[in-house]
Amino acid sequence: MSSDHRPAVMPGTDRPASPYWNPYVAGIGLGLVLLAAFVLVGRGLGASGAFSSTVAWLVSLVAPAHAQSNEYLQGYLGDGTTHPLKAWLVFEVLGVMAGALFSGLLAGRARIAVEKGPRVSTAVRLLCAFAGGILMAFGAHLARGCTSGQALTGGALLNVGSWAFMLMVFVGGYSVAWFMRWQWR
Amino acid sequence: MAPFYKYGFFGDEMSLVLAFVLGTGFGFFLERAGFGSARKLAAQFYLFDMSVFKVMFTAIVTAMLGVTYLGWLGWLDLSLVYLVPTHLVPQIVGGLVLGVGFVVGGYCPGTSVASLATGRVDGFVYAFGIGAGTLAYAEVYPWLKEFVNSNDMGQVTLPEVFNLPWGLLVFAVVMIAVAGFSAATLIERRIGDKS
Amino acid sequence: MKLPALTLNQKLALVAVALGTLALFSVPHRGPVVTLDTRELALIVEKEVDHVTPSELAGWIVQGRSDYRLIDLRAESDYATYHIPTAENVTVAALPGFPFQRTEKIVLYSDGGIHAAQAWMLMQAHGYRAVYTVLGGLEGWKDDVLYPVLPAQASVADRARFERAVALSRFFGGEPRAEGAAVANTPVDLPKLTAPAPAPSGAVSPIAPRKKKKEGC
Repeated sequence: MSSDHRPAVMPGTDRPASPYWNPYVAGIGLGLVLLAAFVLVGRGLGASGAFSSTVAWLVSLVAPAHAQSNEYLQGYLGDGTTHPLKAWLVFEVLGVMAGALFSGLLAGRARIAVEKGPRVSTAVRLLCAFAGGILMAFGAHLARGCTSGQALTGGALLNVGSWAFMLMVFVGGYSVAWFMRWQWR
Repeated sequence: MAPFYKYGFFGDEMSLVLAFVLGTGFGFFLERAGFGSARKLAAQFYLFDMSVFKVMFTAIVTAMLGVTYLGWLGWLDLSLVYLVPTHLVPQIVGGLVLGVGFVVGGYCPGTSVASLATGRVDGFVYAFGIGAGTLAYAEVYPWLKEFVNSNDMGQVTLPEVFNLPWGLLVFAVVMIAVAGFSAATLIERRIGDKS
Repeated sequence: MKLPALTLNQKLALVAVALGTLALFSVPHRGPVVTLDTRELALIVEKEVDHVTPSELAGWIVQGRSDYRLIDLRAESDYATYHIPTAENVTVAALPGFPFQRTEKIVLYSDGGIHAAQAWMLMQAHGYRAVYTVLGGLEGWKDDVLYPVLPAQASVADRARFERAVALSRFFGGEPRAEGAAVANTPVDLPKLTAPAPAPSGAVSPIAPRKKKKEGC
């Protein structure tokens, strides 16, 4: 299992500071966190919902009437009794930031950088990141979740929609990989 | 009896605190696995680093076995764990779009957060993109609404749909996962050697 | 025989396969078969802390309290003819599968109280702890709230109590009576079911909307 302890190295790029963990061990860790969520709170993890809450809140600051009248955003603003940012996923995502930063600092992997392949410029990479984000938003909201919420959470609970979704993520990814290889290799 | 929150062991405030704590664990292990790096994540789709597959399915198997055994012992009331309702076609389409976004952008929402927390500018821009995309989605939602809510199968699990015992599906998933991991490692070696 | 040294990953795989195989026999979902702690239940029954009097309930409805769910256990036709305002119709058979929150107060009533008591036991068996029955059921509601009777030899305290009962009775469309009045044995018409007059502190809708918390991702 030679590739397990060596972080992925695209030919011609520099090595990161510490080796990444054995993926199975990291996966078990992740699975236990997910299990804890089920046992403690009766729900799984997620991420895309936090983005929706944040966007809804920002719009309500800038154009409150519009936010109220937009059906999708209104769903995240609620009836006004709770602040939209006082949402479970928002707190969870803040935790993700803290946990990731902690791990990154511990491993010497926290640094201002741009992850990209050797043949592409930073500007193009950032453009692609932005575009990818937009696509991701549509995908996640159409599917009512992203890889954390649907694939991980729903996968563990044998949720039909989640497994179908998960399969399609891999299908979608592999279909365009060839066309995007200039960005990564 | 678990889920503790649903049995009234603690209230909403504590639930939010737990959200943060659980998120910390989530982010920690994501970064440990190297998922704060778009290169590592995208590598999955070029077949020489199948970590995404390995981590994801190990996590799924772990949590799945966990709820199975805890439910079997009678310690966890599985019916109270929230299941996202299945809307088959929109979720299939959403998955495809997400997969494309994954390769184009290099992250998914959770990993982009992990990435920006460790200083990656592209992760930050990606998260911004999600925000912009969410706004765009909200604007076109009236046209998408009917589609998004179509195919409502309710909260349904694989055992229910295939009319098979839960335990059998669990067994099948575990076996497929373990076989998949072996295959993934083989593929990694093959492709890795070639490049 | 010495086993070959296994790598960590191989050990993990073995553990996974073992657990997966054992899981073939698992039954993780609670079905209709439950275990009862009869001693605990007997104590609860004896302490009689699981009752709600019709007058108490009437007070809750008037105050517009929404921290409980009132359940009418009778048939649909009976429910349609008359039911206590704010009650939801769930028959005994449908009760165990009904999606209650584990932490919400559930108040049950039937015509007399037998079905309510039996349903109470079912709910306790399924692990719901905050279950109550209306003392006397719908009959008790009629006697105490809708048609309170002023006893012939009424004391001052009795009169005071009766005055309060009168107010409640009128709120629910009932008819207070003095004892000895001719109507004692004639069938009483139950009030027509219209939406109750708005309570002093805000409106009470027939089924209080539950605050839906977004649990998705």
